[in-house]
Amino acid sequence: MSRPRALLAGLNRRPRLVVASLLAPGTLWLVVFFFVPIAVVLAYSFMPRGVYGGVTGGTTLEHYRRFMDPLYLTVLRRTVVLAVACTGLCLLAGYPVAYVIARAGRWKNLLLFLIVMPLWTSFLVRTYAMIFLLRDTGFVNTVLLALGLVREPLTLLYTPGAVLAGLVYGYLPLMVLPIYVSLEKLDPTLLEAAEVLGARPAARFWRITVPLSMPGIVAGAMLVFIPALGAFLTPDLLGGAKQMMVGTLVQNQFGAARDWPFGSAASFVLMAVVLVAVLAYLRLRDRGSVEALA
Amino acid sequence: MRSRLPRSLVAFTALCFVFLHAPVLVLAVFSFNHARFSMRWTGFSLEWYQKLLHRSDILAALKVSLIVGTVSTLVSTVLGTLLALALARHRFRGRTTLEGLLYLPIVTPEIVMGISLLLLFATLGMGLGIPTIVVAHVAFSISFVAVVVRARLEGMDRALEEAALTLGADEMAVFRRVTLPLLWPGILAGALLAFTMSIDDFVITFFVSGPGSTTLPVLIYSMARRTIEPTINAVSTVIVVVTTVLIYFFDRLTRGRGQEEAAA
Amino acid sequence: MTDRVGGDRLTRRAFVRRAAEAGAAASVVGTLAACAKREAPRAAAASAAQPLGPMEKQLSVYNWSDYIAPNTVPDFEREFGVKVTYDTYESNEELLAKLQSGARGYDVIVPSSYLIPALQAAHLLMPLHRDLLPNFGNVEATFVDPPWDPGNAHTVPYHWGFTGIAYRRDRVRQPEASQAIWFDRRWRGKMTMMDDVREVVGAMLIWRGHSPNSVVPAELAAARDDALRAKPNLRAFKSAPVKADLIAGDVWVAQLWNGDATQAMVEQPAIAFAFPREGSQMWADTLAVLADAPHPRAAHAFLDYILRPEVGAAIADATGYGTANRAAAARQAHPIPYPTVEELKHLEYQVDLGTHTEEWDRIWTEIKSA
Repeated sequence: MSRPRALLAGLNRRPRLVVASLLAPGTLWLVVFFFVPIAVVLAYSFMPRGVYGGVTGGTTLEHYRRFMDPLYLTVLRRTVVLAVACTGLCLLAGYPVAYVIARAGRWKNLLLFLIVMPLWTSFLVRTYAMIFLLRDTGFVNTVLLALGLVREPLTLLYTPGAVLAGLVYGYLPLMVLPIYVSLEKLDPTLLEAAEVLGARPAARFWRITVPLSMPGIVAGAMLVFIPALGAFLTPDLLGGAKQMMVGTLVQNQFGAARDWPFGSAASFVLMAVVLVAVLAYLRLRDRGSVEALA
Repeated sequence: MRSRLPRSLVAFTALCFVFLHAPVLVLAVFSFNHARFSMRWTGFSLEWYQKLLHRSDILAALKVSLIVGTVSTLVSTVLGTLLALALARHRFRGRTTLEGLLYLPIVTPEIVMGISLLLLFATLGMGLGIPTIVVAHVAFSISFVAVVVRARLEGMDRALEEAALTLGADEMAVFRRVTLPLLWPGILAGALLAFTMSIDDFVITFFVSGPGSTTLPVLIYSMARRTIEPTINAVSTVIVVVTTVLIYFFDRLTRGRGQEEAAA
Repeated sequence: MTDRVGGDRLTRRAFVRRAAEAGAAASVVGTLAACAKREAPRAAAASAAQPLGPMEKQLSVYNWSDYIAPNTVPDFEREFGVKVTYDTYESNEELLAKLQSGARGYDVIVPSSYLIPALQAAHLLMPLHRDLLPNFGNVEATFVDPPWDPGNAHTVPYHWGFTGIAYRRDRVRQPEASQAIWFDRRWRGKMTMMDDVREVVGAMLIWRGHSPNSVVPAELAAARDDALRAKPNLRAFKSAPVKADLIAGDVWVAQLWNGDATQAMVEQPAIAFAFPREGSQMWADTLAVLADAPHPRAAHAFLDYILRPEVGAAIADATGYGTANRAAAARQAHPIPYPTVEELKHLEYQVDLGTHTEEWDRIWTEIKSA
């Protein structure tokens, strides 16, 4: 037998070894470069800050206590509110779009591609495109002025509206895709049966379509809500320094403010909120599937 | 029997598509505008693209992006495929835990991943540069590659492999001659995904890059913070076109067995 | 004009010394305290200057944006056969943060004088090899052996400047040349202050008649509250890059440094520069070499190159700032004159805050987060 074959024959007698060798490299990488760093962040969040930055020895709860100040809780609240608003808007806009794509027949593949495309275009490029549009001397204002609809340029950039628009613009496709997937799976005979039994279109929609597409709705909401919570680029470039969200707060602490421990504590609060959202999603999903079966 | 979709719904959907694509299209159109500061169209011009070729910082960033993209794609594709094979084909203890842990990088906010790696490197006293960026990109790509390849594995018909085994081929030959070729589109799709994510990544790269290791997105960010110039439009358009082409191929590769889910 | 650079030397020097010494005292205390604690670990710097190897082929420079002449680097590259990578930053705090994060590979940095104690505390600076800097004799006497760097052991003076208010004359007729402008609702949404803690908090302190280097908690709290009151009127916090917005007309009033304002005026004549009547801050920037610089000899060559009169003059002309290079100023057609004794009464040097840096950083986070 050749060497590789002999080796493989030996491995076959020890399936555990096969699994271990398959798992080891990837798992090791994730442990060292994902989990350990998160643990480091946790450790830093309990250390006192150095005079000019960095950390010194000792432990302290000061940073978490500092985050409980109304100022930073407001930042957290603003972040959650913006994320919820973004998710809501994405749902309102995304559901119809997903519905249309699911019923699009010939055009389905093209429309799907058009929805996927923005996701893989660099987020930075897309955000810059927004700036290009929304500046006082940008495209939107130039058009409005040229059409005579306004006399002075509107201040569109550096407003909460700009940040919200940027977030929706960034995450809308993530809402559309899961809803489309669950609408696709919908059995049309259910709707036909309801029609035969006398249900009107609105009732058919709200009583059958929506509940059955609920897994997609919940999945989409998660896919939008979680990144929106941690958004940093959008509020930074579109909101100026005025719409601070937790993401920009953290970035600040690791930038000019040089307060790594406080930034670490803020990151952990953010992670905690994300975890709550994920757990809620998992419970909703499990409950939802049970009801769908019943 | 399908009823017609209401006009308003179709119109609204069209509006949404416009909303999603217009900004980048406008950006691209104006990359051909002769004017530097003004929005007025003063003539078609390729000068900003020509300027790109002379900007050493843009060319350097392109080089770094490509190096990081290639290396991190190779590593994460291999590691992710191995993980997918283990998860899809084998039963072992701690399997559900691993599945959960594998999904964590996907739901962790990028900024948390970025600063956590920064802190790790700072504590270890490692300087920031291309190696640190590659390490970071592999870390977030593994999970995505694993998900894509695993979806492909689970969709594969095992009958062919079983037939080959019955006909007397040993495991290694089956893997090499049957499994791998069938799996190949999925692996390629995962690799394309990893490459695109690496080229596009900003937040995590922002925290773990150092002097001389600026990637294109990080360069665009510092350019965008400073001034608005059509050169940014030009380089953005180039990125968009390249990634669109890549994703077109990703789409084709995963379309195979009605795998729109994999594209999501 | 030029004679003022030569005359008044004693008074200016005395003033600069007194102002800087006040800060130096605080910073010495701060430095000692900092040395007692463990800062972020860095490659150990040799306390005595190590002999340098041959000239390297590369150099990495980290400078403020728009703070050099367009042909300085290309000419240097050509003459010395060195390939230069050039990165920029917008504030001293950003520079320090980058260095503390482990950004390795920079050779030359351009810190303001007040940052030097912090850099020293972190052992980030390389002692300069004076024998490699023959042009050092060109430095203006005021800046030789300054209090922030005795004997110029680690730095070479570069430029100095001060902060004021740049505005669009065609939009803002008869503006108040005062720090009170930030509270003026007429220009709401059209104003910016710098993305720089020392500039914003300093301006608010000056408006109340305090020192912009104050560490008195009550004064700092008042400054923070004032900044929060002004914030709704501000479009954004933006440093030197706000020039593009001023030129385009997106911004009408901007807190800006005098040299950058001059640069903007060249492109847009409608821009003017006003000096706040309550006073303002002054600063001096220096060139330094990092302790772990990979290309130390090329770094020294670069510093010496900049000290050449014609090179220094070109940079001062392009940037619009006052140069610390006496020989360069002599070659300029219109050198920026060092402030008169009268003007100096309204200018205060930025100094190191030592242990109080943390309080200032906190206030900045509070201002930004609101």
